[in-house]
Amino acid sequence: MVRKIKDWLEVRIGLAEIIRTQLTGYMVPGNINLFYTLGFVALAAFFSQVATGFFLLIYYLPHSEYAFRSVQDIMSRVPYGWLFRMMHAVGSNLMVATVVLHMLSVSYMGSYKKPRELTWVAGAFMLFVTLTFCLSGYLLPWSQLSYWATTIVTSIPAAIPYAGDMIAGTLRGGEMVSGATLNRFFAIHVILLPLLLIFLFGIHLFLVRRIGVSSPPFGRTAPRWRPGTSFRHEDHPDGHPFYPYFVQREMMMVFLYFAAMFFIIAFLPTLFSPDDANTPADPFRTPAHIKPEWYFLPFYQLLKLIPNKLLGIGIQALLAALFIFWPFIDTREEDNILKRPRLLALFAAVVVSWVILTVWGRYS
Amino acid sequence: MDRRRVLKSLLVLLGSALSVSLIYPLVRYLAPPSGAEQGGKVTIKKSEVEVGSSKDIVVRNIPAIVINTPEKGFIALSKVCTHLGCLVQYEKSKNRLLCPCHGGVYNLEGTVISGPPPKPLQKFAVKVEGDSVVIG
Repeated sequence: MVRKIKDWLEVRIGLAEIIRTQLTGYMVPGNINLFYTLGFVALAAFFSQVATGFFLLIYYLPHSEYAFRSVQDIMSRVPYGWLFRMMHAVGSNLMVATVVLHMLSVSYMGSYKKPRELTWVAGAFMLFVTLTFCLSGYLLPWSQLSYWATTIVTSIPAAIPYAGDMIAGTLRGGEMVSGATLNRFFAIHVILLPLLLIFLFGIHLFLVRRIGVSSPPFGRTAPRWRPGTSFRHEDHPDGHPFYPYFVQREMMMVFLYFAAMFFIIAFLPTLFSPDDANTPADPFRTPAHIKPEWYFLPFYQLLKLIPNKLLGIGIQALLAALFIFWPFIDTREEDNILKRPRLLALFAAVVVSWVILTVWGRYS
Repeated sequence: MDRRRVLKSLLVLLGSALSVSLIYPLVRYLAPPSGAEQGGKVTIKKSEVEVGSSKDIVVRNIPAIVINTPEKGFIALSKVCTHLGCLVQYEKSKNRLLCPCHGGVYNLEGTVISGPPPKPLQKFAVKVEGDSVVIG
């Protein structure tokens, strides 16, 4: 039966050639490591979010009067509703962690260097889209935490001269966070952002396959591949086949991702869900010590440290621009960070500052 | 100019005109409807707010607070902190308003005493008419 299906497809789409050129005959570098699987893990995480998000949509009511109740019903009345809600909530945190780790490993391996600048830029935008996903999804349960965290975040653009109030008002659909904000964020979360992420992912994957997988700078057995003045695909004739060698490693990491997710759901269910996340939104009472999610803490703390809000936003926008266009700033050919002490020091400083700001923001 | 080029230019022109003509309606569509939050005064009884105490109200969809101060009588201020939009709380013992999010402190005039808020709290007009207090 399988043979017949394969023969049928072979006649119509040339299946054997696709398998040979894209899977078994597509070679990845011989010294490739597990960090190279993180992009695929992030993709698997996204599809998990799409699937669980779809299941939640069956019962979720995007209205300020019913949203909180519907989420509580999903958690307590709908059979296994808690499972899909928890997979979605914990998955959003793990997806951000995976994308951040992917970007860190790409930075450390120097994989953003010529000719992969555009691959990095597409990836950086995908990180921002992922964070926007988290931000827009955060409001949807309509809890005290989601309401006031959204109030704070949507107040930030108000510091921009002239257009600030208009931007904040457009984001909120009014002067305060209200049902209008919920509708806007819901539309952004379930339609706009998924389409945008799939579009960016298409560009990212096209570039990865078109240019070829970069070889890590550590443990090379062959001389480093160098881009020429005209386009050239980076191939690795002495490497490992993409399938089964690399796909098996990717799948192992995907299972590790789900193992981490189910460990948190089973043993640390309140890790991403403080008390205020289980209290209905009250637009007339701000809870004490409201904090954003861990991935926004560095931005939040930096904003707190800089007394002028406009200056704080300006510095963050500058840092974001530096991050997006980093491949056009670091144009040195050497891709081994261990041979570039100043770059290594900068990398370490960024990571350490990030951790310090996160911890400081959490406990200040 | 050949026919193909003219047609191509016309298509570009038509496409651009279509895109541009949709931008304005889209911006207007996304901006919050104006006028919905205008007007609207709030009237409360004087007896509802004794000297030294306060009452939370909503003026034009904005959470606000009326405080009956011993020195200046009734004062009405927006509760929305001008820093990042959290709601300030009245601290009677310290005669001040405190934002629980980032520690912004205002006096009962709405002026910033300390913390990150960039400007004073919005003030609402207060008029005492007999037994009533009209705010807004």
